[in-house]
Amino acid sequence: MSKYQIDCQYYIVFQNGEIVESSIDDGIVINDQKIIFSNSNPIQIHMIYLLDENQSMTVEYIVNERVQVDLIETRQLRDNAQFNRIIELKEDSVFNMFNENCSDNDENIDFNDHYTLSSNARCICGYAELSDGSLSSSVHYDLIGEGADVKMRMAALSKNQEKKAFEVTIQHLSPHTFGQMDNYGVTQDQGVLTIDGIGTITKGQYGSETHQNNKIIVFDEKCVAQANPYLYIDEYDVKASHAAAVGKVDEEHLFYLQSRGLNKKQAMRLITYGYLKPVSEIIDNELVQKRFEETLSKVGDERA
Amino acid sequence: MSTLVIKDLHVKVGEKEILKGIDLTMNTGEVHAIMGPNGNGKSTLLSSIMGHPKYEVTQGSITLDGEDVLAMSVDERARKGIFLGMQYPAEIPGVTNSDFLKSVMNTRREKPLSLFQFIKTLDKNIQALEMDENLAHRYLNEGFSGGEKKRNEILQMKLLEPKFALLDEIDSGLDVDALRVVSEAINSMRNDSFGVVMVSHYERMFELVPPTHVHVLVGGQIVMNGGYELVEKIDQEGYDWVKELGVEAFKAEKKKPILLESCARKVTEHE
Repeated sequence: MSKYQIDCQYYIVFQNGEIVESSIDDGIVINDQKIIFSNSNPIQIHMIYLLDENQSMTVEYIVNERVQVDLIETRQLRDNAQFNRIIELKEDSVFNMFNENCSDNDENIDFNDHYTLSSNARCICGYAELSDGSLSSSVHYDLIGEGADVKMRMAALSKNQEKKAFEVTIQHLSPHTFGQMDNYGVTQDQGVLTIDGIGTITKGQYGSETHQNNKIIVFDEKCVAQANPYLYIDEYDVKASHAAAVGKVDEEHLFYLQSRGLNKKQAMRLITYGYLKPVSEIIDNELVQKRFEETLSKVGDERA
Repeated sequence: MSTLVIKDLHVKVGEKEILKGIDLTMNTGEVHAIMGPNGNGKSTLLSSIMGHPKYEVTQGSITLDGEDVLAMSVDERARKGIFLGMQYPAEIPGVTNSDFLKSVMNTRREKPLSLFQFIKTLDKNIQALEMDENLAHRYLNEGFSGGEKKRNEILQMKLLEPKFALLDEIDSGLDVDALRVVSEAINSMRNDSFGVVMVSHYERMFELVPPTHVHVLVGGQIVMNGGYELVEKIDQEGYDWVKELGVEAFKAEKKKPILLESCARKVTEHE
């Protein structure tokens, strides 16, 4: 039994591409590395992915019409591993996901998600990127059906000279589609963090909305942080917004918390906790929230 | 009994010296009022005792029961029992008031408070301060009205039970009812192991929380010490009489709004 396992009735554990443990509902069909969800009632399922050094894996999810899936996903990747997911959300499906990266790697790892949303598919995603080690990640949403709706939120922490780069893209390919991304990051102890947010609305996708918010808190001077918002819009009848900010923790905030007896580390942790916590609120699962909070306690730690 | 002693304290902000040699001795059980015109160093004094990084102590000492306060970090000062009730408390988005208060209460405990103990203590104090119960779930000070912020400061003071509470214009922004609630809260804490240093411009506050000692701070110096009679004198006469003591008050800097005309105005040779 994996140490990451939580109290969830349905689960699948993949190790280097093979299923090593599972408990699934009749509505879930696994066909090689393709997982098809056709469950008649909403279900919560926990997926664990373990990938050793230099391994790569691609998994495909298909969420059928009018199906709801609440997914908790834990991934642990070792050096130079690559993990790709292809997620197809069919008409009127609902997909809520909390994804935690529990990797501990010295060399870079690669993680790519590609979503396709059909008409009126709804997707809410939270990415907890607090792992130990460098990472390149791309998350891409293609909103191909009218009324497709995605909200994604990411909490990223880069520390101890880690290099983490994220590219999040929402591509509006049908009218009346909605996209919102909120990418929050913290860098400390010479961590490097780059967040590129890309929103694209092509011609004819009237009535669409794309919004993005990219913010990074920098703890010390030797960190490198970049938050780059890009909006490519080729249609008049749309709503779009972007915000990007990189900055230090406000000195007045720190003073206020310290004047109540919290030391600098506790104060920073409280500020970061409040800043990154909303990501874990997407899925209602106490254990996941607890683990997220434990991981957050790394923030402000002295360099190991 | 605890004693806070300030000797010959000089403080500057940037290049400007704000405090020019403050001497004060305060014991728990006492209530000290610090009065003076705006911009003469009252808030600077309180913030310097707490250790605000903006204020640089260039000379003098502050000790709490013989321990060097200036050598302590801000949080150490707080854990030793110094509390600053701020005039403009910071608004911190994302941090809920209850998460904050729980962390704060745990700073001085070896074993963390249980959730039950925390909620019980919090509820009792929120009721006593006639605060909105939802405040606990809102982000720290964010969107709080002036009065709510001040009550939240007093709430923290009650939860932390400091030895010395430094209250910087805690009455500003309070309506009559809130003033009563806040002053009752301060008075309820008065005992031999709790001292208060209050900065206020209004006699009303000092009527409700009568000081045992009154100090007048002008031009970065304490120019007069006395009792309640000084509060009455200032209430009636203002600070003009200070000039007779040969002290020059700092003039509060007036902030000028930037008008478009001031940059767009044509400068002629006659000017």
